[in-house]
Amino acid sequence: MHFSEDDLREALKRKDPGEGFINQVMARVNQSASENEPALTKPEKKTNGSFMAWWMHRPAWAMAVAAVLLLAFGIGGYQYSEYRHREDIRIAHENQQRLEEAERARDQAIMALEIARAKMNHVLQHAQLQAEPNEKIRRQRL
Amino acid sequence: MEQTAAFEDDRLKLALDRALTGDAQAFADLVREHQGMVFSIAYHFLQDRSLAEDLAQEVFLELFQSIDRIQSPVHLTYWLRRVTANRCIDQGRKKHRRREMALEEAPEPMAASKHADPMLLERLQQSLATLPEKQRLVVIMRFQEGLGPAEIAEVLEIPVNTVKSTLHRSLADLRKGLTRKIREVRYAFF
Repeated sequence: MHFSEDDLREALKRKDPGEGFINQVMARVNQSASENEPALTKPEKKTNGSFMAWWMHRPAWAMAVAAVLLLAFGIGGYQYSEYRHREDIRIAHENQQRLEEAERARDQAIMALEIARAKMNHVLQHAQLQAEPNEKIRRQRL
Repeated sequence: MEQTAAFEDDRLKLALDRALTGDAQAFADLVREHQGMVFSIAYHFLQDRSLAEDLAQEVFLELFQSIDRIQSPVHLTYWLRRVTANRCIDQGRKKHRRREMALEEAPEPMAASKHADPMLLERLQQSLATLPEKQRLVVIMRFQEGLGPAEIAEVLEIPVNTVKSTLHRSLADLRKGLTRKIREVRYAFF
């Protein structure tokens, strides 16, 4: 049996889903709306798609705002980097000062100990001399 | 004719814009405008009225949830065809059904048939149901929707040459299937 393309078009002609179809769709839509608060009830909701649509028709001032923001971020970033650099130098300088002070304090402490040791030796020698019973030996030591 | 088409396009654009702002009546207008297309793709693919109705309702529900992505009436038609085709394939995989259509299930055509043999049309529909899923969709898009190979390729996301070869093979398979059915009928009667 042969058939033409027109027969196929006839066989595949669009069909009507029936009277109540729209009502059924709208009932499901309303049910979905009450459950999920979808796009129709919240048209202001921004999705990726709406952002892209907005971007395609973006106003001229949007580019100016974007440029200003970019410049501000650039300058801010540079200044912050400079500030960090200055802070690093200041902290290193302070550390160096603290190190030098510590070294000075250590030297002074060592010197104080040396003086104390010398004094103690001197006192010890005198004490030993006083304790020597032999007058001749004592005079030699003096 | 062009004026009518332009008027129709403006009307749909207006309905789309209003639907985007949350107008339920405008969304219902969009459904009314496209229900025949969506339901028929599903019905010709699944050969089951209730499954096709359910699928078409799900497609419109998805449209409602994604309405802010639709840019124009042309985009809307393309979107509906693509989503319906994808859902048909999903549904077909779920059910693994190659069901033959019962006569009493057949919905009424939107316009009365002028010249074709009703028996031939019924057998064509039955043969269509035996085609593999992709072939069936290509035939539906070509002969129900009247799309060209490039448009079908875009909707089904396959290469144009694949569409052409699939269409050619589908028509050959339909002819073979129809001839086999005639032989079965003859054998049964004689």
